[in-house]
Amino acid sequence: MKTPIEPPFEIPDIVTFAVPGFILLIMAEMLYVRATGRGRYQFADSASSLWMGFGNQVAKVLLGGLVVASYFWVAHFRVFDLGWTWPVLAACFFAEDLAYYWFHRISHERRWFWASHVVHHSSQHYNLTTALRQTWTGALGLAFIFWLPLVWIGFPPIMVLMFQAISLVYQFWIHTETIDRLGPLEWVLNTPSHHRVHHAINPRYLDANYAGVLIIWDRLFGTFVSETKDEKIRYGIITQLGAFNPFRIAFHEWAGIWRDVTHAKSTREALGFLFGPPGWSPDGSRKTSASLKAAWAAQQSIGAATE
Amino acid sequence: MSDLLTLAGSAIGVLAMVGAAMALGFRARAHLTEADLSSIAAEEGRSLQDSLIAPDARCALARLADGAVLVARALGDGVSARIIPASAVRVTLQKGGLRVALADIGYPPIQLRLPQAPPAWAVAMARGGAA
Repeated sequence: MKTPIEPPFEIPDIVTFAVPGFILLIMAEMLYVRATGRGRYQFADSASSLWMGFGNQVAKVLLGGLVVASYFWVAHFRVFDLGWTWPVLAACFFAEDLAYYWFHRISHERRWFWASHVVHHSSQHYNLTTALRQTWTGALGLAFIFWLPLVWIGFPPIMVLMFQAISLVYQFWIHTETIDRLGPLEWVLNTPSHHRVHHAINPRYLDANYAGVLIIWDRLFGTFVSETKDEKIRYGIITQLGAFNPFRIAFHEWAGIWRDVTHAKSTREALGFLFGPPGWSPDGSRKTSASLKAAWAAQQSIGAATE
Repeated sequence: MSDLLTLAGSAIGVLAMVGAAMALGFRARAHLTEADLSSIAAEEGRSLQDSLIAPDARCALARLADGAVLVARALGDGVSARIIPASAVRVTLQKGGLRVALADIGYPPIQLRLPQAPPAWAVAMARGGAA
């Protein structure tokens, strides 16, 4: 007989419960920025970020059931009955964070997933409202598939969803320029400093620090980059969006994919536009993170050689 | 029903936060200058040949020395720019200015209101000629 996969206690809607805290912290950060000049806000940018967050909630109401249903469907085929015990909870925390790392990394490396995730990076600002600039198309873009292996292994679906929510809430406070480094915590946790690097578009910082809660995954898989004081961080995306309109923010990359795929000259090209790195083009004429990093590295080595 | 209440609460929260941002004066707006355009072009290893900046300095069109086109707009206190081949830009002459459209839906058309007639190079672009 299989262990019940339902939780033994009632789990609240963690993200909804956190919303009042988000609002208070955003207000507090605004006041701090106003008083100290440290950090940056612009009301139109913040408004678009916040409406993206609102739209994300609407999308969850409309499509969240699909995600939950897919978790429970996969749970029918689970390999182990892990159940709700303290050791399983601890293991699930790490497993969920590892799944998040790979979801996040692939969301930056493959255009299909980037089309949803780009929304979160599309602000030229980095403050607590940026944390709420979330996609509307995550479920339709199948982002949830990265967590299905956990359910297949045997972690209860609600447990996985619970740790996903905890991770999301954790990641809110790291979207700020008002907190500097945090000493030894920087070794283990994803912090504001590490996440500023992740949101930066300076070539030295591209494609780094994908962590959710624990930065250990980046250290382990070679994607960790430390923040340096030598260079002012520029935020956003390589080709900065030209609009605050939430609908343009939500769908611009999907429209770009559609345009490219419908103009592709072969199946290989179409697949490249769909699943290649963001910025991929058949003739290499567009910019990718890799080409930008390579150009930057070449410039650095020329600079070093001439010194 | 509870979902609708939650969404309504969130919408009120959003309005409160945007209101607070406005009340606290976070209304900085970027204004484009020719130096900005030159700097954007230089970042790509290109140089500016001619430029047209709207009187309110919120958008601009420029022709680069290599024939490419630079389109820029102020976005809040930031700037968003595109450097693209002249063939990828649709310039339309309008009463009192120019409309510049790109295929990218993340970059809506810019309306360049001009106090005088547009220069010959911009008119040539509008007529489909070489920039």
